[in-house]
Order: sequence, then C-alpha cells, then structure tokens
Amino acid sequence: MGSILSTFGALAIGGIVASATIVGIVTSQTSPSGDSPANVNQPISQMIEYGSTN
Amino acid sequence: MALRGTGTSAAPGWRCWLPRVWALALALILLGPALGAGYVLSFDMVWVPDLALRSDFLGLASGLPRAVPSDAVVAVLDELVPGMVLQKVVLLGCLVAGGIGAARLAPESSLVGQLVAVSVYEWNPFVAERLLIGHWPVLVGYAVLPWVVVGARRWRTEASMPTVLWMLVPLGSLSANSGVATAAALLAFALARHRTRANVTVIALVIAANAPWLVSGLLHASAATTDPAGAGAFALNRDGALPGPVAALGLGGIWNTEVVLPSRDGVLAWLSLVFVLVLAGLGARAWLRRTGRRDVAAFVACWVIGYALAVVTWVAPDLTTWLVGHVPGAGLFRDGARALALCAPLLVTLVAQGAAETWERLPHGVVARTSLGAALVVLPITLMPDAALGLSGRLQPATFPGAYDQARVVVSDQQRRDGESAGDLLVLPLSSYRQPQWNHDHKVLDPMGRFLTPDYVASDRLVVAGEELAGEDPRVIEVSNALAAVTPEARSRGLADLGIGVVVVEHDTPGEAPGLAGKVLLDTTQVSVTRIDDPRVRTVPGGWIGGMTLAWLLYAAAVLVGASSLARSLFCRRRHAGATAKSV
Repeated sequence: MGSILSTFGALAIGGIVASATIVGIVTSQTSPSGDSPANVNQPISQMIEYGSTN
Repeated sequence: MALRGTGTSAAPGWRCWLPRVWALALALILLGPALGAGYVLSFDMVWVPDLALRSDFLGLASGLPRAVPSDAVVAVLDELVPGMVLQKVVLLGCLVAGGIGAARLAPESSLVGQLVAVSVYEWNPFVAERLLIGHWPVLVGYAVLPWVVVGARRWRTEASMPTVLWMLVPLGSLSANSGVATAAALLAFALARHRTRANVTVIALVIAANAPWLVSGLLHASAATTDPAGAGAFALNRDGALPGPVAALGLGGIWNTEVVLPSRDGVLAWLSLVFVLVLAGLGARAWLRRTGRRDVAAFVACWVIGYALAVVTWVAPDLTTWLVGHVPGAGLFRDGARALALCAPLLVTLVAQGAAETWERLPHGVVARTSLGAALVVLPITLMPDAALGLSGRLQPATFPGAYDQARVVVSDQQRRDGESAGDLLVLPLSSYRQPQWNHDHKVLDPMGRFLTPDYVASDRLVVAGEELAGEDPRVIEVSNALAAVTPEARSRGLADLGIGVVVVEHDTPGEAPGLAGKVLLDTTQVSVTRIDDPRVRTVPGGWIGGMTLAWLLYAAAVLVGASSLARSLFCRRRHAGATAKSV
C-alpha cells in the first residue's frame, strides 16, 4: 500500500514539475514585449544607454 | 584526449552518453532561434561576416585591450569558417562543453547527479545574463573551467600533464576577466608542494595564455585607470527579487537590470536559490567525505575568490571606486558579478552530490525514482523558464543592411589603393551603442568598426542609468576635440593630423555628425563614407611591436603545443586500438 502511494506521489510530483515547466516556457514566450527585460519603446536620447541599474 | 576526471568510462554506453545528450538538448532549447541564419548582436556581442585582422586587435590600439585576444582569434578563425557559423559554433559549443564538463565534477556513480550538474551549470542566471549582455569570451572561460579543474587535479595527482590543458587554458583566456578566472582555477588545483618543475610549467602556461592582454595592458599602464563612477555602475546588483549578495550565491547579480530575466523578479528566483542551496547543503557532507583535503581547499579557494570579488563591489563601493580610479588595471574587476564564474565549480559539485544523495534516499520502485529523478533534473528549467528559446526571443539573429556591404567595399578599395597612407577609420556619431531597427531594436555595441577593415576609432564612453562614464582611449578625446572645430575644413584637417583617413556616418543613429571636408565615397540613407585627404600615418613604438610579438608568440606556442600533443595522443590511441583489435 505504502509503495503504491509513494509511486503515485512521485508521479504526481514529476507531473507537476513537467507541467509547470511547459506552462512556464509557453507563457514566457507569449508574454507581451512590454514585459520583456528591456522595453524597446523607451525614448532614445542622444546616447543610447548601455544599461540600467534600477 | 588525456582528460578523465571523475570519469564515466566504467559506466555503460548509454549512461555515458546521457549527460552529453542532455547538455546538447539544453543548449539547443536555451539558444533556440539564436541558432538561425543571421548574426546575434546583443549588447557587447558583435559578430560580423568576416572580421579583418588589424593591428589594433593585436593589442596595439591607443586604448585599453578590451577585446584582446578574442577579436584576433575570431579574425583568424573566420578565415576558416564563416563568421555566422563560427558564432553559432562558439555559443552552442561553450554551453554544451560547459555542461559536459560539469557532469565530470559530479559523482561518477550517480547519473542523476551528473544530469543535475549539467542542468545547473547550463541553466542559471549567470549564463542567461552573460549571454544577453554578449560577454561570450566570459562564457567560453566559464565552459572551460570544469575541464581545467579536472585536468589540473589530474596534473597534480599524476606524473604527466594532461596535454589538452595547453589548449584549454588559452581558450579560457580570450578576455582579461576569463583569463584571470581560468588562471585562478588552474593555480588552485594544479600547484603542489615539492614539485618545482611542474609548478614552473603551470605558471609558464598561465603567463603564455594570458600574455596578449597582459602585455598590451602593461603597455597601456599609463592610461589603465578607469572612470571611478564605473565602480558603482558595474557593481554587483540585485537580481530581480534577490539582493546582490544573496543572488550571488546562485550565480546571479549582474549590474545591468535590462538583462535580468522577468522570472527573476518574483518567487521563482527565491525557489531557484533555495533549490540549489538545499541540494548543496545535502551534498556537502558526503562531498567532504569523498574529496581529498587538497581538492576541498582548491574548490573553496576558487569559490571564496569569486564570491569576494563580486560582493566587495556591493559591500564596499567606496573602496572599489578608489581602486578603479587610482590603481591601473583595477577596472578589470569593476563588473563584480563576472567573477562568479569561479563559484560555479564548487556550487555545481555540491548540488550534484546533493542530488545523488537525494536520489539514494528516494522510495524504491523504478517509476517513482525515475519520476522524482527527472523532476530534480528539470527543476532548474522550471524555475527559470524564460531562458528558453533564445531567452524568450531576446537573442534573435539579424542581417546586416546592404549599406554595410557597400561601405565595406569602398573602404576596402580605398585601403587597398592607398595602403598605410589610407589612414584609420572614424565612426560617427561618436557614441558607443546602437539600437537599429534591423537588429529588432535590440541594443548592440556599434558593429560598424568591426564590419569594416581598417583600424578604427569609435566612442568608448558609456551611459549607465543616465550617468555618462568617461572612456579610456585618449584618441577618442582628441578626435572629439578635432570635431569641435568651427569649419568642415578645420575639422577634417584636425582628423587627418590624428591619422583619420576615412569617416563613416551612420544616419539611423541618434547623435551629431558634424560636416567634414573630403571626397564622399558613398552616400546612402543609412551610411555615408567620406575620405579625408592626407592623413598622418599613425606610428606605433617599436617597443610595443616587440612586446606584442613576444606575447603572441607565447600564446601561439601554448596552442600549438596543445594541438600537437593532442594530435599525437589521438594518433597513439587509434594505433593502440588498432593493435588491440588485431590481437583479438
């Protein structure tokens, strides 16, 4: 009985991780560009910034 | 190849191959569209179809050697392989090699441990952020590290030196930062008491592999201090939700928040850190039991150096500001998080050991163990899913506009016709970064100078978080002064006196490009090329040429020794295999 439960438990954990991975990858690929690390619509000044620290 | 660390040779074939296949699969998933046709141009990552070798790439430029020897090595290699293909090979190769190398640091008996090592080494904030900011020589050094660790340990414990180190160490020293990390790992693992001759060889290898940037840096010692403001700008930073020193425990904390993935902004960042720290904690005891004291000391020394160099930029910004502004060469360490590569070997070793220990404690039954083992292997991806497919599309190949090719043709013709008296190239507007539409609006260090063939002057001033950081190249300041003259004729005369013979203006870039007197060689909506009359021929001191020749000879000698030894050992192995087959 214990081994059946642990097998189902392990399968459930594996399934959750697998599903979460797929959902995470798909969601991150389809998120709008404004949510990307750098918003390309930012105003461009005379010199383009190398990066931001904030 | 002479490298075998924890070795997987005793394992059945499929067990031996699974970590390699997983390393390749992860690299393919991570790079995704970046492997398509075109050039991935992201921040400091600039690859062009055919990088021409020029004296500046050899360390003879007027500014600090920021891309020595990487630019020269690429310029040589892309004579054999097209630049586009070479970039894919380098990006894919360093991820795969790093992953496979990490598996060699894991317990030999644990497949799950090896696979988790591959996952953690390839799929972490350090790799994602350095890829996005374009620090590919740092990633090459990062990929080489586990192999250097394995090879150096073997060198210390056995009589013979693994010949492949002669190639790996120069490869891991394509930039100053990665050279320092590779050298630190080699010295930490290879040096041993009472082995004077071997120790001298270790130090000779370190010097030869780092000679190009080291000698060039020494030649520029008088101008080797950098803007103190850079210390604060490039210090270890929070990585999304994680404060800098905490993020550094999981290899995150780059200064530039623009290259931090969105998944690092929430609970996933914390879970990811907890995952690696818990596994590392679980593995620590068993690892200490199975590892010799000398190796423990080397692993810990590398971790402490890496973590301390990173965290000191966060903890003591005043100290780093002073060092960067006053000590020549200290600017090398201003980007604190780069040093975290040195923490990776210990982290991945402990995590792999922890995964192996966890696997041993799992309930019996193939299904349950396989399911939970797979979950352990995949969790790093689950917790940073937006690194997949070219960092969620942030790494997209681009095609250079036709105007670039036209400019290359006219500039190359000019250079061929006038030879040395053609002068150097100036790229305007005088600003470092571009964000062209043809590059999907992604930022990139101006690729024009590398795309064309002559030595070039381009701005090295940077703007970080609205603050301008001064560059180090004195020639840029002189050019800037010449451009401030009142008339086009005076500006051109000033540039000619500085050795500028061709000026390229990129019209799709914000910024000023003052009018110049000269013959217009090309004028398109994107790019124009103007020839400046009678440029002064720039002379390089003979001592500099002698010094850099020696440095390159040392570097090339190390690579050649490695290549010939490797070829000999492969030949011997094949002959041995042939003889064994005959006797059977």
